[in-house]
Amino acid sequence: MFSKSEEGSRPARLDRDRALVEAARRDPSRFDALYRKYLAQVYSYAFYELRDHHAAEDATERTFMQALVGLPRFEERVDAFIASRPALSADDAADISTFRVWLFRIARNVIANERRRDRRRPVSSLDEVGEVSVPGDFVDAAATREAVNAAWEAVARLPEDRRRAVTLRFVDEMSTAEIAAVLGRSEGAVRVLLHRALRSVAADLRGRLS
Amino acid sequence: MFGGGTRDARRTERYLDGLAAADERRAVAAPADADLDPAVRFAASELRAGLTRVHPSFRFEDSLAARLASAALRLKAGLPVEDLAPADGPATMARFPGKSAGATSHDASEAARRSAHAASEAATPDRAIRQPVSLRRLPEIASRPSRPLIVGGVGVGVASAALSLGAVYVAWRHSHPASGRMGRAVKAAHGRGASSAHNRRTGVINGILGVVSNAG
Repeated sequence: MFSKSEEGSRPARLDRDRALVEAARRDPSRFDALYRKYLAQVYSYAFYELRDHHAAEDATERTFMQALVGLPRFEERVDAFIASRPALSADDAADISTFRVWLFRIARNVIANERRRDRRRPVSSLDEVGEVSVPGDFVDAAATREAVNAAWEAVARLPEDRRRAVTLRFVDEMSTAEIAAVLGRSEGAVRVLLHRALRSVAADLRGRLS
Repeated sequence: MFGGGTRDARRTERYLDGLAAADERRAVAAPADADLDPAVRFAASELRAGLTRVHPSFRFEDSLAARLASAALRLKAGLPVEDLAPADGPATMARFPGKSAGATSHDASEAARRSAHAASEAATPDRAIRQPVSLRRLPEIASRPSRPLIVGGVGVGVASAALSLGAVYVAWRHSHPASGRMGRAVKAAHGRGASSAHNRRTGVINGILGVVSNAG
């Protein structure tokens, strides 16, 4: 469970991607396992942020390429999570992936650069969401599509920071601590962001329903 | 100790953590909290149902995997990857290490995911190239069975296709001699029309393969 930290003799907890990261560091061709594991998450984040399939693909490609090249510089920082969450259980700590946080930080920067580079790109009305195919494990695909549309539209109307927090929480299923690390905010700030975002979404959806 | 806003935000966080835990346990019932703002509960329910994870097309997934593999090879060789041409690298075969044993339920999920996507692509072939597929609670896939990947680019493909077409054209010309006046004159001058088309083709193929005939 514990290993020597790279910075010194301080013990560091192993996070859940430790083995994959170490393998990829020894042999870059083994980065593929990390790529396959996080592709959908990174792509989803980019897609929700950029609202365009091609732009999301570009951002995803840059993110993974930068991660591959930068992997030797990546450092596990599970200790930071543990320090910020004293009540963290051993199981929770083992479930943390600092690699994922690091990857999403890269994605966040790539997406920000993409936005800066193409300020004129309009934010779509999310009509594309209606075209997204949904696999057949849903009882009522039409109702699901309606729910998807309503949720996307409500989230699209949120301020940028709230939208990011909601996307990371509901799409990428990150904890508050992970979201805080990705966004560079305190956990308290992320908590408030999420709470306010949910209230805004509720007001939006209820307004539409009525 | 905390202000009302902070307390509510903490309660919301606990509720969301409970939802995530229920999802992991595949529990149907959502966690109960009588003091939770009903608006938060409503919004969380709607967002859980509506915010789906999106997967890119498998064509994109595999082409990016190939580019990453190519970049990995360059890194391994100590070469820079900044100038890596995305679609014009040298063609090589690369086999990614995969899970050789101990298949898990992820494999089944992956198969289901791929078949769902294949069905989706078949239904809308015009959008097959660029449309992603949206999946609810996509499992994290640590690795897949290994499979060969062709790491190459457009330039290599074009050159290969041109060479193939050239060889086919030469073979066709040899098996279909010119039927014009000049062609007939040449044929008559040689006066040896006995060689069949089959022999000519065999000669061409042997010539291409560098086989020296001992006959005659």
